Amino acid sequence: MTKLIGKPLLGDWLVIIASIITIIFLFKTLWSNEAASQLKIRQGDTVIGSYDLNQTRELHIHGPLGDSHISIEQGKVRFKQSPCHNQYCVHQGWLSRAGQVAICLPNQVSLQLIGEKKPYDSLNY
Amino acid sequence: MRYVLLLLSALLLLSCSPKEPLYNTQTYVFGTLVDISIYGETDAHAQSAANAIINHYNKLHQRLHAWQPSEISKINDAFSVGKSSSIKADVAQMIQQMTTLSTQSHGAFNPAIGHLINTWGFQSDAFLAKHVNAAKIQQLVAKNPQMIDIVIENNNIRSNNPAVKLDLGGYAKGYALDLGLQTLREHHVQHALINIGGNIVALGQHGDRPWRVGIQHPRQPNAIASIALPSGWAIGTSGDYQRFFDLDGKRYCHLINPSTGYPAQHTQSVTVMIPPQQNAGVLSDVASKPIFLAPKNKRLAAAKSMNIERFLIIGSEGKLQISQQMQAYIDWTNPKQSVEVVAID
Repeated sequence: MTKLIGKPLLGDWLVIIASIITIIFLFKTLWSNEAASQLKIRQGDTVIGSYDLNQTRELHIHGPLGDSHISIEQGKVRFKQSPCHNQYCVHQGWLSRAGQVAICLPNQVSLQLIGEKKPYDSLNY
Repeated sequence: MRYVLLLLSALLLLSCSPKEPLYNTQTYVFGTLVDISIYGETDAHAQSAANAIINHYNKLHQRLHAWQPSEISKINDAFSVGKSSSIKADVAQMIQQMTTLSTQSHGAFNPAIGHLINTWGFQSDAFLAKHVNAAKIQQLVAKNPQMIDIVIENNNIRSNNPAVKLDLGGYAKGYALDLGLQTLREHHVQHALINIGGNIVALGQHGDRPWRVGIQHPRQPNAIASIALPSGWAIGTSGDYQRFFDLDGKRYCHLINPSTGYPAQHTQSVTVMIPPQQNAGVLSDVASKPIFLAPKNKRLAAAKSMNIERFLIIGSEGKLQISQQMQAYIDWTNPKQSVEVVAID
């Protein structure tokens, strides 16, 4: 059988070292900033779904008061419109970091941003 | 080279390690979010324990509701006309416990001020900004409704003061935490975290680390800090950011000072940590209120009267004050922010 993998040459080592440095660099920048990659939307006691945050998309989630209008825009998300009276959820504005949560209690809709690691198990709000 | 490949495939294998045995469910009870996590059980077992807790909560919510027909509204109706009403043993126990805590807080925790809370519009799902009638507030405060006006005898309850109107809004969620912990134990669950609208109790831990709880920033949509909550401990936050309305540039929150009749406006939030004890959940709900309402220079005294050693106070300008005993448990999201650490004797 022909030996497909031979002894690594200098170029191989350079590629390996460069990859390791790149990986460490990516870990440091992406993990420490805790940028979120996923969005979990819940209504009442059901998980409506998990969505990629890196897209542009409008969602309408139906709750007891009507439709909550949610905007995903390339790495961030917000309640754009809500049928609730106080509009606390809309005033929360854009969320983009892992662990951030916005809840509309009256319409029972929650947005939870998820990153590589979870900063805590539950939020004391 | 083959070692590098071996290493890479080992890393690939690591990335598809088996799913963590963590069950999580969220639902809405008590007008807020209930979040239950159970670790180390099968999904079916965790789900049956969580469902039992949620069923208890739905029943409790109906029985204790402050502004819809309930056992409490029936008692309040009897109070207002000076009559006595029958009472179930567990509700009688709750009222006795609230009376003790109310006395301990020198009346700052006062579940008898239902008429005041109603006048401010907080006995409703939507809080409308409104100008209150100052004369009416004054009148309600002057009637001085207190828990010690209530008399319980032979499964009957009455009030010596017709102005007493019970509202368990500052107590029921904490009571529910203690009840939830009991239900978990009955189901032989060893590791769980229950969060009812910002009142949390921990049982066991999350795998090989303690349960970790984020503390909401009162003005931003993220956590200001996180805390490792040991088994049996409870933590509770009272804030001005979940139930409030803004009017003429001022914020009116649901935490009303019984002695003035007006919402506190000098505090954004108070978080207390309660060590394991019989009523840890109740204390996590109740004990933050007297500290929230106390004037700035009386907060430490209020904490002391409630036997609270671990607290975090966020003042009206966002100024942070933490007790030395709580400092040991906290991880700030921004470690560079300025925090005043206070020593408690």
